[in-house]
Amino acid sequence: MITFEFTPYQVVVPLFGFLMIVYAWNLVLRQKKTIWEGILWTIFWSAIGYISLFPSSLQALSTLTGIKKNENAATITAIGVIFFILFYLIMKIEELEQRLVKVVRGKALRDAGVVSGDQESEKK
Amino acid sequence: MKPVIVIPAYNEETRIGAVIRGAKQYVPDIIVVTDGSSDHTANIAEASGARVIAHAENCGAGAATMTGIQAARILGFDTVITVDADGQHATADIPKLLEALQTQHADLVIANRFGRKNNIPLIRRLANGIGNFVTFAVTGIYLPDTQCGFKVFGPKALAEIELKMSGFEFCTEIIREAARKHWKIASVPSKVVYSEYTLAKGQSFASGLQTACKILLRTFLR
Repeated sequence: MITFEFTPYQVVVPLFGFLMIVYAWNLVLRQKKTIWEGILWTIFWSAIGYISLFPSSLQALSTLTGIKKNENAATITAIGVIFFILFYLIMKIEELEQRLVKVVRGKALRDAGVVSGDQESEKK
Repeated sequence: MKPVIVIPAYNEETRIGAVIRGAKQYVPDIIVVTDGSSDHTANIAEASGARVIAHAENCGAGAATMTGIQAARILGFDTVITVDADGQHATADIPKLLEALQTQHADLVIANRFGRKNNIPLIRRLANGIGNFVTFAVTGIYLPDTQCGFKVFGPKALAEIELKMSGFEFCTEIIREAARKHWKIASVPSKVVYSEYTLAKGQSFASGLQTACKILLRTFLR
């Protein structure tokens, strides 16, 4: 009989990854995230979950990349995570910029008498 | 046809008056969108007979253009001509662009600064080439001058356009909108005058690269 022995890490991380994927697609369905973002999140968290469940899979990666030590793998992973966070923050800043521009443009049209406040709220 | 000229302007007090006077010879209605200008652009534009819409903050050429387009739609115009406020475009070419809109049954007409003999600096040619290449990469449409601010939007394009990009990357976004919404595009050779002033005001090579990065980033996330 085959028995699996999971460390707490191997249980918590894939579970958390699964929840993040569900959350991401929930946002996609509510049109708060694009499909691209949903796919990126899925790939990212699936990879994290897979590596935590099967740490030996990194062996193949080490053969492919030439990374021999686990510390190096951890460094590469950390850099990857930082890049991902940076990427996500850039997107958030872009989104905020768009919202700010929308407010400025709406105010400009109202001040110029082109559109009234009522018309604009109707549009929304 | 009920056309209006939209001029996005940022601190153009020395040029805007002449641009408006030149454009008024061909189209009487002009909307100037001052994009957070801190000089007298708005006063001069108003005195020159344009309707002025003022952004409280500098949002970028794309945002200012979209504000002008939105105003044109609300005010009942069916054709929009966009012209840069720095005076680089020959407003005398406006009738030629409007003619192309009708004779070629186009939805979008873009002036082509490279379609005739113009004295364009090499760095500008290079930057424009990169702009054309990036635009082709994200839209599949190749045009000789995608980054030109001198354009005409016909009734279909005017009704359907919705720009989201605020900066100079809006030029590529317009082509992407054209590809998505199946607008017919025409390109018309036009005169351009580059001076030290226009070169300093326009996109630098570095800002062009930044624009290209923004376009690619947004394209992969849409």
